[in-house]
Amino acid sequence: MAEELERSVLVGRLTRPISGLMATTYRWVDERLGVTDLVHQLLYEAVPRRGAWAYSLGSATLILIVLQIVTGMFLLWTYVPSTTEAWLSLNFIEHHDEFAAIVRGMHLWGAYILFVVIGLHMVRTFVSGSYKKPRELNWIVGVVLFLLVLGLGITGAMLPWDQAAYWTATVVTHVVDYFPIFGTQLQEILRGGPQMGPATLTRFFAIHIWLLPALLVPLIGLHLILLRRHGEHGSWVNYEGVEEETEAERAERMARAEAPYPALPSDPGYAVPMDLDDFFPSQVFKDALVSFGLVLLIFIMAIVIGAPIERAANPAALNYVPTPEWFFLPLDQLLVQFPQAWMIPVGVFILPGIGTTLLILVPFLDRTPGRQPWRRPEVMVPALFVLLFLIFEAMLAVNRLFNL
Amino acid sequence: MSRRRFMIMGINAAGAATGLLIAAPIVGDILSPVFYKSKQPWVMVADIRHVPVGVPTAYVVMLNDSGDAWQVPAVPRTVYVVKANLSNAVQLITLSNVCTHMQCDVHWDVNLQVFLCPCHGGLYSMIGTNIGGPPPQPLFRYQHKLVGTTLYVRNVLTEGQ
Ligand code: HEM
Ligand code: HEM
Ligand code: FES
Repeated sequence: MAEELERSVLVGRLTRPISGLMATTYRWVDERLGVTDLVHQLLYEAVPRRGAWAYSLGSATLILIVLQIVTGMFLLWTYVPSTTEAWLSLNFIEHHDEFAAIVRGMHLWGAYILFVVIGLHMVRTFVSGSYKKPRELNWIVGVVLFLLVLGLGITGAMLPWDQAAYWTATVVTHVVDYFPIFGTQLQEILRGGPQMGPATLTRFFAIHIWLLPALLVPLIGLHLILLRRHGEHGSWVNYEGVEEETEAERAERMARAEAPYPALPSDPGYAVPMDLDDFFPSQVFKDALVSFGLVLLIFIMAIVIGAPIERAANPAALNYVPTPEWFFLPLDQLLVQFPQAWMIPVGVFILPGIGTTLLILVPFLDRTPGRQPWRRPEVMVPALFVLLFLIFEAMLAVNRLFNL
Repeated sequence: MSRRRFMIMGINAAGAATGLLIAAPIVGDILSPVFYKSKQPWVMVADIRHVPVGVPTAYVVMLNDSGDAWQVPAVPRTVYVVKANLSNAVQLITLSNVCTHMQCDVHWDVNLQVFLCPCHGGLYSMIGTNIGGPPPQPLFRYQHKLVGTTLYVRNVLTEGQ
């Protein structure tokens, strides 16, 4: 009860009006908008106490996506989505507009760090078995979010329309040509004609700044609604000893559960973490520090290295060696390993398709009871192999491209 | 039929019809590139007398293809003109340098005497046949014609053998 009081004081302090006129104004708005209630709802939550730094990865992903959206909006201040002017506009930024160059650098490095962080968030939720009952949909929505972010990365890489962008776009749009029966038509739809041209760029521009974000943002909303509905699962460190618990102890723990727990339907013992903490300020404090560190890193990279721009796209250049974005290296390597007509679709559709399907099905394939990774070798070992395979493929690709 | 039931059916029907009105032109918009018609004009390449026998020679041509929407200026593309000495007769071949694997630009490597693709290491012979790497087909050939000694090509591709 005392704790309860302290919490509302903390949250109250956030929404406490400062002086006379501001107090009156705040009250006027609050009566109509319900700000205080809203802040309460958003912040007044229980979360697992132990391992909380690892649970900052989700909010860091969120902050980095917001960063992408904001920097992206201001890239549009200058960027012209046209084959004749895209390169000119970015080249102008790079040579004549230092601040825009930092914004552009932050968009590029923000994307790079985002891939690392979203990857770690996936690994974290996988290792802690967070996808288990009742959080299967958290995971499935997550996989879709991951695919959308990959799509944003690859469509973004096409926009500068320099040599790197042009050949990335060429290869990506030609891959679909190997699709059975409709391949050629699919390629024409993606390119806006039989060949790479002005309509190719406008299409991918529209996909990058509108289509994919319009899908991404509401799905993040759904991911967070699911999170709030079931509460943060955390990891096995929050459930040590649940298997030795007596029925009575468990029942007591369930009865003491604070919102949003108990998470049901759940495996016995896993509905409520052993030890709870306040989302605000305990978790938010960690989230804020982690996100600050990442944005600082992005800022520094944007200033120190920035975003490169190569020569303008030239379909006739003979001495250019195209290299894919680093996060697409494993897929590029599959293009080499599955040569010749009938094998190419295996590398570009069948294997990645099987991989994605398995990823989506993870919550239903993992039938193990516990949460500790070492007690779930049936899923941990294959997952480790997949991860090592992807790293190995990327290394093979780097080796190949360096030896050329 | 009850009043409520009627209204619910009305909502569904109006909703579906509205959706259709919006979706139909958008789907058509997405599919329309499949039905674009393109023109392939002849473009001049070079005087054929300047091309040495046995050395694939690169020429940049403006292969303007109206299938490329509103392309201005024309896209430069490379045509490799090859005078190949095949069974004692010199054959003229105009090769596209677009790799048949994922469409990167291949180039003639003088040391190795092959067409090399930088993307995944595809290799082709002087006349475009496959020697190694992932490409599934020989290099395509542009249609060509000679007017006197002037070589013209156009963006109509034939399969190499
Ligand atoms: C746009 C990208 C994403 C955003 C903004 C996001 C955001 C979040 C946030 C804020 C949390 C709660 C804090 C935490 O546990 O880290 C969370 C939890 C979770 N996320 Fe994500 N996420 C994203 C992508 C993914 C992906 C790619 C996956 C997996 C394939 C995933 C699966 C999960 C799961 C299973 C949880 C529940 C964790 C638990 O309860 O222990 N998310 N997400
Ligand atoms: C998760 C979200 C996003 C990711 C991962 C992402 C990623 C990228 C990447 C990797 C590039 C290429 C940068 C380069 O090579 O220089 C790029 C470019 C660009 N993006 Fe995004 N982006 C995202 C969201 C957005 C949004 C929402 C907008 C617009 C509102 C936007 C606008 C742009 C523009 C205009 C460019 C071209 C300028 C340039 O290349 O520097 N992006 N994006
Ligand atoms: S594009 Fe030429 S080998 Fe792959």
